[in-house]
Amino acid sequence: MMLPLAAFTVAFGLAFGVAAIHAGIARWEAMLMSVFVFAAPSQFAALELWTTPLPLLALAMTTMAIHTRHLLMSASLYPWLKPLPLPQRFAVIFMLTDSNWAMALGEYQRGERNIGILLGGGIALWAAWVIGTGIGLAFGGGIHQPERFGLDVIMLCFLLVIVIGGNPKVVMILPWLAAALSALLAYWWLPPYLHVMVGALTGGMVAILLPKRWYKAGVL
Amino acid sequence: MSLSPVWQSLFAIVLMVVIGYGSRILGLLIMARIPLSPNTRLFIDAMSSSVLIAIITPIIVHGDGGTRFAALMAGAVAIILKSPLASIAVGIICAASWRWWFVT
Repeated sequence: MMLPLAAFTVAFGLAFGVAAIHAGIARWEAMLMSVFVFAAPSQFAALELWTTPLPLLALAMTTMAIHTRHLLMSASLYPWLKPLPLPQRFAVIFMLTDSNWAMALGEYQRGERNIGILLGGGIALWAAWVIGTGIGLAFGGGIHQPERFGLDVIMLCFLLVIVIGGNPKVVMILPWLAAALSALLAYWWLPPYLHVMVGALTGGMVAILLPKRWYKAGVL
Repeated sequence: MSLSPVWQSLFAIVLMVVIGYGSRILGLLIMARIPLSPNTRLFIDAMSSSVLIAIITPIIVHGDGGTRFAALMAGAVAIILKSPLASIAVGIICAASWRWWFVT
């Protein structure tokens, strides 16, 4: 399962390389970002802000807003990582991205306890991401509209599969509806990128407010 | 403060790295201080899937026909076949063909 995902990540990195060239950012800057930042959404967002002189404050704020979800993601893995020694915990958390987190979460909910998925997956994704960026930067001048090839829906489809492919429980309908609705409202009326935070917290709140017997019964 | 462009870029990238990894570690540090009651657990579980819902919803609502078609078909394949690979492949093909036929 990791291999096809890595292949898609190469494509995704390629899309970033292409976008970077069209945004007019230097090749070494784009490469440095992929190697060290290793976070597609904030890298794409940074491209939008990459002017001279650099708006460092805006860049910091945007990056922070985008990464609040990593804060939530690492928090959600805590019960799982807790038995590990500290160095291993940090190694795993450095390699945390949306994709391997989502995959690891799926495994976790099925009762698996394999940390290798998170760490190994992260390393594979990182390599794929860097290679993809390299290819995109090298040949990106040729591709003008990545969306014509459907490359922009990769991330969306992947996240979608994780949500509905992981045997969702009926009791989650209300929390998820609340998450979707509040995220949409925040997307329209709050500063950019806060919607993820708002949706996530609303979903969690609604889940603990539901009557506990609904969870026991397993139905809504 | 007049840094040369190269130093500015380097500084910006370091800033992104620090914020990126800082947020990942902060999640663990915060959780280490909160006792794991059944309610906390429930909250975290619901929150983690809600993160995905919150990312996906605006993309679908504001996406073009190709994006929505891709989401619909990828979702259907995910439910029926349970295969992430097939599902993503179908999504890409749907988005590409939708735009091929309907966007000039």
